Amino acid sequence: MLAVLAAALMLAGIAPAQAQDRPRVAGKIDWGVWVDPDGCMHWWADGGVEGYMVERVNPRTGHPVCLKLETCLVENTDVLFATDSHRLTPHGKARLESFFRGAGAFAYAIYGHTDSRASDEYNMRLSQRRAASVAHVARSVGATVDREIGFGERRPIATNATAAGMQKNRRVEIVCYRW
Amino acid sequence: MKIAKVSGVLLVSATLLGACTTAGGVGPDGQPRLIARDADSGFDPVTLPQQQAAIAYDPDGCQNWIIDDGVEGYASRRRDPVTGLPVCNNQFPPGTVVKEYRSTNFPDILP
Repeated sequence: MLAVLAAALMLAGIAPAQAQDRPRVAGKIDWGVWVDPDGCMHWWADGGVEGYMVERVNPRTGHPVCLKLETCLVENTDVLFATDSHRLTPHGKARLESFFRGAGAFAYAIYGHTDSRASDEYNMRLSQRRAASVAHVARSVGATVDREIGFGERRPIATNATAAGMQKNRRVEIVCYRW
Repeated sequence: MKIAKVSGVLLVSATLLGACTTAGGVGPDGQPRLIARDADSGFDPVTLPQQQAAIAYDPDGCQNWIIDDGVEGYASRRRDPVTGLPVCNNQFPPGTVVKEYRSTNFPDILP
C-alpha cells in the first residue's frame, strides 16, 4: 500500500520527503591529523592535485582541540594579588615584569579567572581588573597585549568544592603568540 | 594559483596520481569511493604532519596556517589554544605571508 502511494506521489512529481532530503553520497575522505605549532589539531587530506584542511573542534563547545596548551604562564593569583584586590603585590609585579621581558612572543593574551566564591558578576569584574593589571605590566616593559579578558568563575579547571580546587581556579593564564 | 599549477602538471598527473582515476560516488561494493586521503599523492614523499607551516594574514587581519605541499595547498585558522579565539592583529598588512610556506621546490606558476 505504501509502495503504491509512493509510486503515485512520484508520478505526480512529489518524491517522498526522505528521498529529497538525503543528498547522494559523493565519495569518502580518509582524514589525517596535522598538529600546528600551538599544539592544536587540524584535519587534512590530499585529493591528488587538491588538498583539504579544517580545524578540529570540540563538537560540544566549538573550541579547538589542542594536545598541549601553549600557555606560557599560569600563575596563581594568590601570589600576584591580595585577596579581592586587583593591585599587584611588589613580588607579583616583579615576577610578571621578568616574565614579559624574557618570554619573547610577538603578542600575548591575558585571561583572568576566579574561584566560585562571591557572585558571578563580582568575579567577572575582579578577573577583568586583574587581567588589566597584568596587561599594564606587560605594556610597561614593551610587550604587545592582543587581548585581556576576565572570565570570572565561568572557566574552572578544578572543582570549587574543595579549598585545593578553588586555589587552582584562582589564576591568570597568559598565552604567548609566537611566530 | 592552484589552477595554474594544476595545468602545469596535468601531463604527469595521470600516471602519478591514482586518486585521479576515480570520480567519487559509490563503488560497485556499495562503499563510497575514496576522493582524498591522509598521504601525499606524488611529488614528494614528505607527509603533512612533518611539514612547516607559514602564517598568512587574511583580509580581516587574522592569522591562518598555510602549507604548500608542492601541488596542493592547505590552510586552516590559527586559534588561541585556551579560548579558541582567532589570532588577529595589525603587525602585518592583510594578505601578508610570513615564515616559509613551501615544502618543496615545485614552482608556483601565476598568470
